[in-house]
Amino acid sequence: MIEYLVFAAAFGLLLLGLHRKVIARVQMRPGPPVWQEILHALKFSFKSTWVPKTASSLLYVGVVLIGIGIWSAALFVVLAGESILILFAIYMLHKIVEHGFGLSSGSPYGKFGGVRSVISAASEIPLFVTIAAIYFFTDSLLLRDIIAYQAIHGPLLLIAPPAAIAMYIVILSKLPYGPFSIVESKELVSGYKTEHFGVWRAGISVIDGLKTFVLLFAFVAIFIGAVPFSLALVIMTVVLVSLSFVCAVTPMLSPFDSVTVQGIVTLLMVGYAGVLWWVMP
Amino acid sequence: MPDIGGDPLFVLEFGDILHYYTPYTITLFLLALIFTGLAIASRPERQIDIAFGGDAYYAKETTISEMRFRRFMAIACGLATMGAMGSGDIFNFTLFVSLVGIANIGIVAAVKSRHVLNAAYEYGIVAMVATLPLFGGAALVAATTGTLAISVLAGGGFAVPLVAKAFLALGVIGEGMAPFYAAKAEMFRAPGAPYVIMCSLSSLLIFLRVVEIVITI
Repeated sequence: MIEYLVFAAAFGLLLLGLHRKVIARVQMRPGPPVWQEILHALKFSFKSTWVPKTASSLLYVGVVLIGIGIWSAALFVVLAGESILILFAIYMLHKIVEHGFGLSSGSPYGKFGGVRSVISAASEIPLFVTIAAIYFFTDSLLLRDIIAYQAIHGPLLLIAPPAAIAMYIVILSKLPYGPFSIVESKELVSGYKTEHFGVWRAGISVIDGLKTFVLLFAFVAIFIGAVPFSLALVIMTVVLVSLSFVCAVTPMLSPFDSVTVQGIVTLLMVGYAGVLWWVMP
Repeated sequence: MPDIGGDPLFVLEFGDILHYYTPYTITLFLLALIFTGLAIASRPERQIDIAFGGDAYYAKETTISEMRFRRFMAIACGLATMGAMGSGDIFNFTLFVSLVGIANIGIVAAVKSRHVLNAAYEYGIVAMVATLPLFGGAALVAATTGTLAISVLAGGGFAVPLVAKAFLALGVIGEGMAPFYAAKAEMFRAPGAPYVIMCSLSSLLIFLRVVEIVITI
């Protein structure tokens, strides 16, 4: 099992490196090498580490472990074909982890990053409505049932494209350097990550890698269905590159606009789910 | 037995009242347990604030008695949340959720700051008003189906009114208002990260549980 975790974290970090590279090339910059995020994680692993004097030490350390724990669980939920409701729960609970990162240090920058994370809760609702829309078609939320449904009826990407677009926006809202990346905006230094350094920052890198891998892999499994693993990795890379293009050409929104746009997406998705509820037998 | 959150792992019977855990609810339960453990064992952070107009900063001071009371409320909140995660009875679920709302008010209201107390007062009004749709939703389910057991309702054959489900969801959103208050005074001004986080966590967890219940019944 540990080999799955290591691979997922490393591939996720590689995708994040590719994300930075694509953004840089679109913006006519050379950009860092694609393995830069892996190098960052390794570098932070060997840097000097301590806990700030003002921090709530147990919480400060605990949230790093909880973050790795929940995304490891999410990976196995996806690989085992379990309920995507658990994935939804973990996605929402990641917000609590971000909040914990921000508040535990006592730093105002981290605190504002954590608070922004909580106010961007609007990004979770499209995911929930996506799940509800999928349920109308598949009558189950178990990933293996959803994959079996697609084997008979074809990819959900074609059957329910608005749901796929909503999940695409959900993934976009969790990517760095994107229009919704208000939790890490520069006026907050590094947002909720500001006071976590050394091994703790390496832990955050592992969380980011796992999160990126799980969300993209889940997107492929939910909307395209069963494909060979190598092909799934290729599709994940293609989806990520498309997301990077969006990030490269879109300025970061203000917190208010970010929540407003996500709220509009939610309303559209609620309307779509309402139509499905009305017309589906 | 509902399988929307995965196949049931464990069922505990108290007469005709069931307490059950699926992979979904056990995940939520364990997270509530872990964060309650953190609230018990963690010392609060010393919150730093920047003084406007210069480079100065200062650390907020808080009294031990205040922190003790907030820790007690955070533990109560964690226990109520854990109860709500495993409950197989809608009425028990609503009771646990209302207890979460009360504990959330307590966590915030113990802070001796005018701004925080104002926020807690508003928060308290919303939480108290939200008990009406919360228990009203449960009452409607009981009146229309004759049962409050989630496992029985999940078995099919019952037409649970949409308005009952909407009331349940509305009640839970009202009780777990903490995320909606994140940008308001208490989150900025109230130190004590392990306790403030219990507000957000419990709100999210009861929301996640009511989603499962509303889809299941």
